[in-house]
Amino acid sequence: MSPLALEIDAITVSPGGAPVLRGLSLHVAAGTRTALVGPSGAGKTTLLRAVAGLAPLDDGDVRLGERSLRNVPPHRRGVAVVFQEPRLLAHLSVEENVALPLRAAGFGGSERRSRARERLDEVGLGGFAARRSQGLSGGEQQRVALARALCADPDLLLLDEPLAALDPNRREDLRRLIVRLQRERGLTTLVVTHDRAEAAELGERVALVLEGRIVQHGPPKELFERPVSAAVARFFGVANLLRGEVRDGLLEVRGTAVAVPGPDGDATLAIRPEHARVDDDAALRAVVRESVYAGTHVKLVVDCHDLRLELHVPPAGAPAAGREIGVDLPRERLWRLPEDDEIAVSAAAAAPSRGAGRPSA
Amino acid sequence: MEARGAARLRAERRRALLAAAPALGVLTLLFGGALAGAARTSLVPLGGEPTLDAWRALYGDPAFADSVRFTLQVTLLSTLLSCALAMLVALVMRRRSVVVRALLSMPVPVPHLLVAVAAVLWLAPGGLADRALGGLPLTLVRDDLGLGVVLVYVYKETPFLVLLLLAAMGEALAAREEAAAVHGASQWQRLRWVVWPAVRTPLVVGGIVVAAFVLGAFEVPLTIGPSYPPTLSEFALQATQGDLLAGEGVAAATLLLTAVASTLLAILAVRLAKDAAGG
Amino acid sequence: MVETRVQRVLGGLLATAFALPLLVLVVRAFADRWRAPALLPQDWGMRGIELAFSGQAAEAFWTSLLVAVVTTAVALVLGWPAARVLGERRLKRPAIAFLLLAMPLLVPPYATGAGLTEWFLRLGLVDTVSGIVLAHLVGVLPYVVVVLLSAFGPEVTALEEMGRASGLAPLQRWRWVTLPAVAPTLAAAAFLGFLVSWSQYGSSLAVGGGRPMLPVVMLPFVRSDPQVAAALALLFLAPAIAALALTARAARSPL
Repeated sequence: MSPLALEIDAITVSPGGAPVLRGLSLHVAAGTRTALVGPSGAGKTTLLRAVAGLAPLDDGDVRLGERSLRNVPPHRRGVAVVFQEPRLLAHLSVEENVALPLRAAGFGGSERRSRARERLDEVGLGGFAARRSQGLSGGEQQRVALARALCADPDLLLLDEPLAALDPNRREDLRRLIVRLQRERGLTTLVVTHDRAEAAELGERVALVLEGRIVQHGPPKELFERPVSAAVARFFGVANLLRGEVRDGLLEVRGTAVAVPGPDGDATLAIRPEHARVDDDAALRAVVRESVYAGTHVKLVVDCHDLRLELHVPPAGAPAAGREIGVDLPRERLWRLPEDDEIAVSAAAAAPSRGAGRPSA
Repeated sequence: MEARGAARLRAERRRALLAAAPALGVLTLLFGGALAGAARTSLVPLGGEPTLDAWRALYGDPAFADSVRFTLQVTLLSTLLSCALAMLVALVMRRRSVVVRALLSMPVPVPHLLVAVAAVLWLAPGGLADRALGGLPLTLVRDDLGLGVVLVYVYKETPFLVLLLLAAMGEALAAREEAAAVHGASQWQRLRWVVWPAVRTPLVVGGIVVAAFVLGAFEVPLTIGPSYPPTLSEFALQATQGDLLAGEGVAAATLLLTAVASTLLAILAVRLAKDAAGG
Repeated sequence: MVETRVQRVLGGLLATAFALPLLVLVVRAFADRWRAPALLPQDWGMRGIELAFSGQAAEAFWTSLLVAVVTTAVALVLGWPAARVLGERRLKRPAIAFLLLAMPLLVPPYATGAGLTEWFLRLGLVDTVSGIVLAHLVGVLPYVVVVLLSAFGPEVTALEEMGRASGLAPLQRWRWVTLPAVAPTLAAAAFLGFLVSWSQYGSSLAVGGGRPMLPVVMLPFVRSDPQVAAALALLFLAPAIAALALTARAARSPL
């Protein structure tokens, strides 16, 4: 069975009466894995539910391959879902839980048993078939849910925050499992997560949902390093935004000229905290306000007059609070935001931008 | 587009109402019918003209007045005693002791009539308690104060109230008590400021429920209560056994009064419970 | 569970208070002769049992059983959708529904029975099983709905969604997901409903006409022949004992 592409075509969904998704469109290429990311309330779970058929569409269409799913009930869509909670049936054994989709499809007992056991082996729960679902840990229960979804042999796999309830060590294992299983089957997959790092690790492409619309959709690197708007930048941890008029390839930042890419004119530039460096020879000076050890790096919050910048530096030799340092913003690491909505300059800008309207990439 | 979502919600609400309609509709029909029927019987004697005779008869009947007094007396006594006892037991038990909690659920499936029968065997003159103790200090069976009746209702309703109170005294309450204790509140202060506000409403609602229920006391006083004065339901029964024509009307009027009183109490209880839950 | 001494004493008292009267019933039922002031019967025998089961008692037992089963079944069928809607909080103004459910529970059954008789006389429903069932329904239906609604809620809805997403058709979902999930509460609702109908006195007396019902048949014997009354009381108690045994077993077995 060849993989099918998912086409979400300008859907409007209003689960509680008011629209949560407004004319949202998204294309997931056949056999690929896309991560859907965004803040809570943005509509990610609503989108998943709409595709699964658990939330009705007010407008628009969802197509799997050539087939429209608009009036198809959830149990006939060929779409399998791994929910945020495992949602296992307490009165059934692990194996019976996994075999549920097969039972629905009318498979006989022995066929169900053998297939369920195969899936359990695949997810690394080989000997668990006869166990009761309650005694399992959270991670084990999620893997049972995953095995169950695979048993349905779906055309599309949807996962809603599959790693959210797990502790960090377990998360890594499950993430690798999901990626491996998806690749082996070439299964079209859509994963929802609120964690941007997880989105980058889980998705071949990443789509950012803000206020019911897809704001940017592309390979993870693109969203992290070349966000299309300040809102996207902020979500992916680009805290530093510089605004002003570029003249002769230079931008004036609090009295210091900084080399920036791109043509002259009004511009907003962004640079990731990891790419800004402490350099005592640099022209741009700032005072360290906060120096916080965060395990893998030290997070510096520095003030350049009234401009607040954030730097992530290696722990060794990181400056302490109160010190005056030089900040180097390498030209090749500066990203020029495309012209559009209003932009807040300070890294600690509180007011959210509109960040809406951009069609999916 | 916004209208689409709102329209769908309205359709969902309609569907929900339709689903609840059979049960609620049948209940309205039967219960409303019963109240209407009682009203009709009290006003229209068998194949006659509408008349207030039955009601006038009640108003002037000293036996009815006695019955009202007796019923209210038994109701008040039963309610207050079972509430007090339940509060005591709940406080002693608190959230612990699964065994005691299981024991308390035991009387729930036992019918009131059965408790009354057992009570008669125990407490009547010549009953087991009389023999075991060589004579009871009080008459509890068929006594003028209806103490036997009160005892039966306290026996049955106290466990119900205790379970109600314990439901309100769960983990959340324990956590709040701990917080109070850590801030220096004594046992008595915790009882007044933390525990009492939490159990106050369930206790009152439970008490109203018990009162509404005992108001209609019928088979229990028939078994263990005095022949005079009768409770309101007993009075109605006696009316039907007397004068055939007028009796039905008097009985219906009495029962209607009882039903209305219980209904008003039921409304009060639901109101209080709703307010406590946040309206 | 740490039990203080007071709690243990309380537990002991409660156990005694609940078990002792039952014991007396058993003893009294089998005591052919038990003159005061003896603490134990002089003569044991089956007189009570025999007398109890001659006459109307046997018919009363089966009629009461039939009425209770039918009433409970009807209440479950009518009450299930209402319980579902209330439990999932899908009603805009649930207070009205709760009021409608609370009122019949607290109004004396004799009153509702007497009120219904006015219409049943015209409809020919007096002295029929159907009439008694309808009269009992007023008390049983609210009980069933109130107990059953606690079974429904976000957990059951989540499992049903999972069922839909796993390919289950509506009937399959009902059989394999919904029913097992609500089974314990459903059993409790059915049982409580049964007991309410089984224990009914007032409404059975008002609407039943001459048709014998167990509690009604039993009551006169308390004054006339306590041994027979005790025997009938044991019979009357049988479903309650069954309930206790079942709940005790359910409480001990793992979920």
